[in-house]
Amino acid sequence: MSQVSIQNVKIAVVDGDLLVRDFVSTVLMYCVNRDVLSFDNGMAAWRYLEGADSPDIIISEVDVSGLNGFELLARFKEKHPAKKCLLMSANPDDEKIARDSGADAFLAKPVSVTDLFRVVETFVV
Amino acid sequence: MLRAGPSSGEIRNMSGEDIFSSRLKLLIIMAKAYLTGCPIGKYRKQAIIENSRFVFYHSLQLVNKMASSKDQGLKVQACTTFADDMHEEHIFYQRTLLLAVMAKALAEGRLKGYFREKALKENLNRIREAFIFNFNVKDVKCLKVA
Repeated sequence: MSQVSIQNVKIAVVDGDLLVRDFVSTVLMYCVNRDVLSFDNGMAAWRYLEGADSPDIIISEVDVSGLNGFELLARFKEKHPAKKCLLMSANPDDEKIARDSGADAFLAKPVSVTDLFRVVETFVV
Repeated sequence: MLRAGPSSGEIRNMSGEDIFSSRLKLLIIMAKAYLTGCPIGKYRKQAIIENSRFVFYHSLQLVNKMASSKDQGLKVQACTTFADDMHEEHIFYQRTLLLAVMAKALAEGRLKGYFREKALKENLNRIREAFIFNFNVKDVKCLKVA
């Protein structure tokens, strides 16, 4: 696994569940002391991610409407191969698919504060 | 590929209770980081305020729920152990309410003075005794810079 250090990191969170999305965004915002983008569906996220000012790291739930996490991962990696895409899921079967699809991390739910700190320590600091 | 979270047998959707306990843990880390001298930047302040708000309202809901169960004729006095548990739980959520208020105050730069910090430390210790949560802020590199 590559260890990177990203200055002024830009992170986006995609999850249809408002409580989870807000929780993950708050932890990351606190940890990196930067604003964190959040989207409630895959298509809205992709519209933003397509742009030149796309985030360095995207953390998406697999089961989101519009465009699911795997589809979002494939499109994001095709356009920005060097950037990081992390998938979250409450379905254990998604872990192998995430690995085979080239996800940089798989976060099994329920996600904890320490899991998210580990993500920042691995991909940002 | 980095793998984080519970083992495959324990994977499940996050419940409201998971979110509350995770946010309470985050609030404890935020307060400990402040007491340890970790810097607070603009977005960290915002995150502390957002998290405090969530913990405050959720704790308040739980306190109200407990009060209404009592009012609805649950004879808690009939069973001493149950009454003691209810009392401990009530105090616990009062302490989480207080922690939320303190955390908001620290983010807004209003938690100044020796005794306020002492009160924060004591409240944190009591919550952690009941909640059983240990976390070493010094182990997290990213908290040392803002």
